[in-house]
Amino acid sequence: MRRRVPHTAKRAPGGRFSAGRRRTLALGLGCGCAACGFGGAARARLLDYELAASEIATNSWAVLGATEWFDETNGGNIVNAAFIEVPDGVVVIDTGPSRRYGEAFRALIERTVPGKPILRVYNTHHHPDHFLGNQAFDPATIASSPGVIANIVAEGDAFADNMYRLLGDWMRGTAPVAPTLALESAAEEVGGRGFTLHHLAGHTSADLVVRDEETGVLYAGDLAFLYRAPTTPHADIPVWRDALASLAALDRSTILPGHGPDDRSGESLEQTGDWLDWLDGTLRDAVDEGLTMNEAMLQPIPDRFAALGVARTEFERSVVHLYPALEDALFPRVETIER
Amino acid sequence: MHTPRSTRPSTTVAAPRPETLSRVVTFALLVVLALASALGAAPAVARELPADPLRSVMWKSMAERFLPDGEIVFDERVRVLAPLSAEDQVNVPVTVDATALDDVTEIVAFADLNPIPLVLRARPEGAAPFLGFRLKLQQSSPVHVGVRTGDGTWHVAGVIIDAAGGGCTAPAMAHGTSDWMSTLGETRAQVRRGVDGEARMSLRIRHPMDTGLASGIPVFYLEELTVRDADGETLMALSLYEPVSENPTLTLKPRVGTGSGTLEVSTRDTEGNVFAFPLEVPAAGDS
Repeated sequence: MRRRVPHTAKRAPGGRFSAGRRRTLALGLGCGCAACGFGGAARARLLDYELAASEIATNSWAVLGATEWFDETNGGNIVNAAFIEVPDGVVVIDTGPSRRYGEAFRALIERTVPGKPILRVYNTHHHPDHFLGNQAFDPATIASSPGVIANIVAEGDAFADNMYRLLGDWMRGTAPVAPTLALESAAEEVGGRGFTLHHLAGHTSADLVVRDEETGVLYAGDLAFLYRAPTTPHADIPVWRDALASLAALDRSTILPGHGPDDRSGESLEQTGDWLDWLDGTLRDAVDEGLTMNEAMLQPIPDRFAALGVARTEFERSVVHLYPALEDALFPRVETIER
Repeated sequence: MHTPRSTRPSTTVAAPRPETLSRVVTFALLVVLALASALGAAPAVARELPADPLRSVMWKSMAERFLPDGEIVFDERVRVLAPLSAEDQVNVPVTVDATALDDVTEIVAFADLNPIPLVLRARPEGAAPFLGFRLKLQQSSPVHVGVRTGDGTWHVAGVIIDAAGGGCTAPAMAHGTSDWMSTLGETRAQVRRGVDGEARMSLRIRHPMDTGLASGIPVFYLEELTVRDADGETLMALSLYEPVSENPTLTLKPRVGTGSGTLEVSTRDTEGNVFAFPLEVPAAGDS
C-alpha cells in the first residue's frame, strides 16, 4: 500500500475523536433533540473531509476520494484531486465537489507546501465533483479548455442544485465558478515547469488531460477510472475509445485517474476501455432484443468487474444515458402514412 | 335500501290524495338520502380503500380519480419495474408486467405528485398485459399502476421514484432545434421474438409531447395509439397523456401466434395528426 501523509496533527479541537466516532456523534446530535442548543454548530464543525495527501511522484501529491457514489456520509469526496510543487509555486488539478472541499484542499496544500503561491488551477472537465471547489482559489489562476469552460457555464448551476439535493449541508455556500483562462495551446509553462495539455473528449464533450513534463505523471481526469465503474452522463463511447488509445500511446511514469488509485501499469486505461466495450455491446444487444430499459438494467455484470465500486449503480445510470441514442440507431425506420 | 312503500299508510280506508302521497314519497326519499350520506355513502357503491403501502398523501384522491368502481387490492402479481432514482427526470423508464394475472382488461399508470398525474391507459385486448414506457417527473413521487381484471377488480402496485424534478415544466428537447416539425411522427419500430417465441414490439415516435406547462409552449401530445392485426382486430389500444416522455418509446407484446404476419399501427395527436404504418412480424424462430 502507498504511504500516505495525513497532515492531521494540527486539527482543531474535536480532533481527538476518530473519524468513525465523530460521525457517530454527528449522527447522534443530528437525530436527538437533547443537544439542540449546540447541535447545529457542532454538526457543522464535524463535517470534515479529512483530506490527506498521498505522494505519487516527486513533489506531486494526489488526494484520493472514495470509489463510491455521492452521499451525505462522504460529502461528495469520491473524486481525485492533485497538486504539484513547481520551482516558483504550486499547480492544482481539479478542486473537488464543494466550497468546503475546496477550502480544505487549499489548506492541505498550504500545509504540505508552505509559503508557495498557487499559480495555476486546471479543471479537467465540467462534472460537479471536479470543479465546485473552484471558489476557494483565485479565479485568475483557474484555467481549462474552451469546451470545458462552455460546459461549466451551461450546466454548472443545474449541477450545483442537484449536489445540494444529494449532499445537503456539505454544499453550504457553494456556487459554480467558471475558469477565467481558456487554454487552446498544446503546452504551457507554469512557475518554471512545463505541462503538456491534451484537449480530448469522450467522457464529456471536452476533457483536458495534463501531463507534467518533469515527472511524467499523466493527470487523466475522468477519461480513466480504476476500480470504480466509469460514469457516462455525457459520454460518447467511440470518441472515448479514441481518447484512451491516444493516452495509452503517451510516455508517462504514472496515471492519476479521475477516480481510483494512481496507476503505474496503465491498468486504468485498460479497465476503462474494457468496461466501455462491455457496456456498449450489452446495451446494443438489449436494444436489439427489444428489452425495456428496466429489463436491460437487470442484465448480469461479468465477474471481472466485481472489483469495481458502484458497478451496478453506474450500469443502471448508463442504461438511461445511452439507450435512447442506441434505439435511434438500431430500430429500423418505418415509413408512416400521414393522414 | 328502504323503499317508500314501508312508510305508506296501509290501514286508511280512503286512499291518500295524490299530492299527499307524493309528499310522503318525497319525505321518505329525503330520509333515505340523509341516512345514506350520514353513513358516508350508499351501501351499493361503498368500497373498502386499502391503505397504500407507499403511503402516498394523494392515494385516496388518485384512487377515486383513476381507479373508479370495483374492488381495489394491492397485488404482487403486478410487477412494476422502475429505478429508485430518476437519472433523467424527463425519461424515467417504467415496465409493467401483469402477465401473472388472467383476463386483464385495462392498465392505468399515474404519478401521484405530478401536476398532471395520469400517464397512460392501456387496453390489452389481444396482447399480453405487459407494457414498457417512459415518463416525466416533476418531483420525487409515488408511481401507481392499476391493472383491472374482467371481474372489475383493480390490482394495484407501485414504486416511489426519487427525482431532482422539473421534468414536466421543462421545454421538450425538440424546441432546441428549429426544424422539429419536419421530423414529427418519424417512427422507428421492430418486432422481435423472444426465446419463448413471444412477439415483442418496440416503437419510438418523434413527438415533443408538450405538457402545456413549459412557458409559452401549448399542450401538444400523442394521445392515441392502436395496434391491430391484419384483420383489423384491435390487439392493444393506448391512451397517452402529457407525462409520457418526449419521443414516446413503447414496448408491447401483441399476441400474434407463431407465424409471420403484419401489424397495423395507428397513432393520433391532439392536433389531429394521424401517423399509421404496417409492421412486419417475423415467424417464431426467425429472429
